Amino acid sequence: MFRMILYTQWKWSRLILLPAVIAAFALPVFSVQVVGTPNQSGWEARRILSAVQTWGIAYPLLATGIALAIAMTAWGPDHRGRHVYALSLPVPRWNYALQRFGAGIVLLIAPALALWIGAALAATTAQIPAGLHAYPVALAARFTLALAVAYAVFFAITAGTTRTAGYVLATLGGIVLIQIFAASVGIEIQLLPFVSDRLLLWPGPFEIFSGRWMLIDV
Amino acid sequence: MSHAIDIRDLHYKAGSFELRELALRVPTGSLYGFLGPNGSGKTTTVRLMLGLLRPLRGSITVLGAEVPRDIPRILARTGYVPEQPHLYTTLTVDEALRFHSVFYPTWDWDWANELVGSFGLDRARRLSQLSKGEMGKLEMLLALAQRPELLVLDEPTDGLDPVVRRDVLAALLDYVSQQNATVFISSHLVHELERICDWVGVMDRGRLVAELPMQSFKNGIKRLRVANPPALPGDTPFVVLAREGGNGGSETWTVRGWQAPMSQYFDGVGASLREVIDLDLEEGFVELLRTFREPRD
Repeated sequence: MFRMILYTQWKWSRLILLPAVIAAFALPVFSVQVVGTPNQSGWEARRILSAVQTWGIAYPLLATGIALAIAMTAWGPDHRGRHVYALSLPVPRWNYALQRFGAGIVLLIAPALALWIGAALAATTAQIPAGLHAYPVALAARFTLALAVAYAVFFAITAGTTRTAGYVLATLGGIVLIQIFAASVGIEIQLLPFVSDRLLLWPGPFEIFSGRWMLIDV
Repeated sequence: MSHAIDIRDLHYKAGSFELRELALRVPTGSLYGFLGPNGSGKTTTVRLMLGLLRPLRGSITVLGAEVPRDIPRILARTGYVPEQPHLYTTLTVDEALRFHSVFYPTWDWDWANELVGSFGLDRARRLSQLSKGEMGKLEMLLALAQRPELLVLDEPTDGLDPVVRRDVLAALLDYVSQQNATVFISSHLVHELERICDWVGVMDRGRLVAELPMQSFKNGIKRLRVANPPALPGDTPFVVLAREGGNGGSETWTVRGWQAPMSQYFDGVGASLREVIDLDLEEGFVELLRTFREPRD
C-alpha cells in the first residue's frame, strides 16, 4: 500500500523534485567558488566566511521552498476530488494521512542526499585556508531537519481545507498589519519580534531555520 | 429479513439543506433504487452512509457494522461509485487499477482485466484524457473488481450515452447474479431503475417519501376513471393522491394501494368505476412527489 502511495506522490512531484535535487546539489558547490584556487595568494578568511554566510541564507529558503512544493503536491489531487476518493478507501484517515506524509518524507531524501553529496564534493575540492574547516555532514543534517520540519508544517496546513489555510495566513497577515499600524501611529508594540522570537529561537519549532548555515566555518 | 443498510432517525444539516428523521432499510441481496429529484438529498444520504459526512444524530448500520466507528471495515466490503468522478486524473488507467487494488484484499485481477477488455479501456491512457463514458466505466470497474458485498452507486449512469449505460448496467447485473450482492443505486432516471430494481425508496426535500418493493410500488399506483364520483371520497380503502375533473361528470383519480376487490367501494358510494389504468414508475413517482408536496386531507 505504501509503495503505491509513494509511487503516486513521486508521479505528482517528480517535476519539482528534479530541479530541487539539482539546486540542492549546486548550492554548496557554488557557495565555495569564492574560496578560489590554491594559487591564489593570501587567504582572506574573513572575506570567505562572509561570502559563505551570505550563501547560507539560501539553505533554509531552499528547504522551505522544496518542502512547500512537495506538501502541496501531496494533497493537490485529493483537494481537486474534494477528498472523496481518499475518504472512500478502506483505511483509517490517520493511517492514510500518515502514509502520504511518510511518502513525502521519503521523496525529500533525494534533495537532502543531493545537498550532502554537493557539500562533500565542495568541501573536498575547495582549498580551505588554515584555521577554517568544512562541515558538509552537519550542513546536510541541518538541511534535512529543516526540510522535515517545513514539510510537516506545510503538510498539516495543506491537508486542511482552504479555509484552514486562510485562517493561518490571516493570522500571520494580521500580526504584520497590527505591527505596521502600531508603528505608523507611534504605539510601542513589539508583536512581530515577539512572535518571530517565539517561533525562531529555541525552543521555538522553527529554530532550525535561524542561525548560521555555514559549509565552511572556523 | 436482514438488512445490508439500516438507517434510523437520521438528521443532518448543511446550510439551508436538511435531512430529517430519515429511516431507510435496504434488504440484503436486493437491488434498491433510491429515487428522487435533484437536490432531494440522495447524494447526502449516500455520503452519510459511507462515513464521508457526519450526521447530527441517528444511527447508520451498513453490512452489520456501525458508521462511523467501523467505517474502514465497511468500505473494504463496499464498492462505491460517486456522483462525480473522484479518481486521481494524473494516473493512467493501469496505475489507477494498481493503486486501487492494494486497498482491497478481495480484489480480483482476473475479472478486472476482463472488464478492462470488455469496456474497451486503454491501460496506458491518462484518466484526464478519458471521455465521460470511459471514466464512468472505469469507476464501475474499480467498484466491481473489488468483489464487494454491497455496491453503492450514486447516479452511476448520469450523463452517459445509451451504449455506455447499457454496458455499465450489464456488468452490474452480471455481478449481482454471480455474487448475490446488495446494490444501492441512487438515480433520478426513473426508467433505468424500473428495469433493474426490486426495491425502491423515494426521497424528496430531505425526507423519505416512500419505501417499498418495486412491484408494490408499480402495481399499487393506478389511475381510475370514475363516473358519477362522490363530492367527498370519504373513507376509501385506498389513498387518493389526485382527482381531476373530466367530461360528463366523470373524474380521473390517481390512487395508491389499489387492489382489484376495492372496486366495490364505488358501488357503495353510487359511483361507477369505468377503467383502471396502470401507471409506469415515472408517472407513479411524479404523483407521489406531487402528493408529498401538496398533501391532501
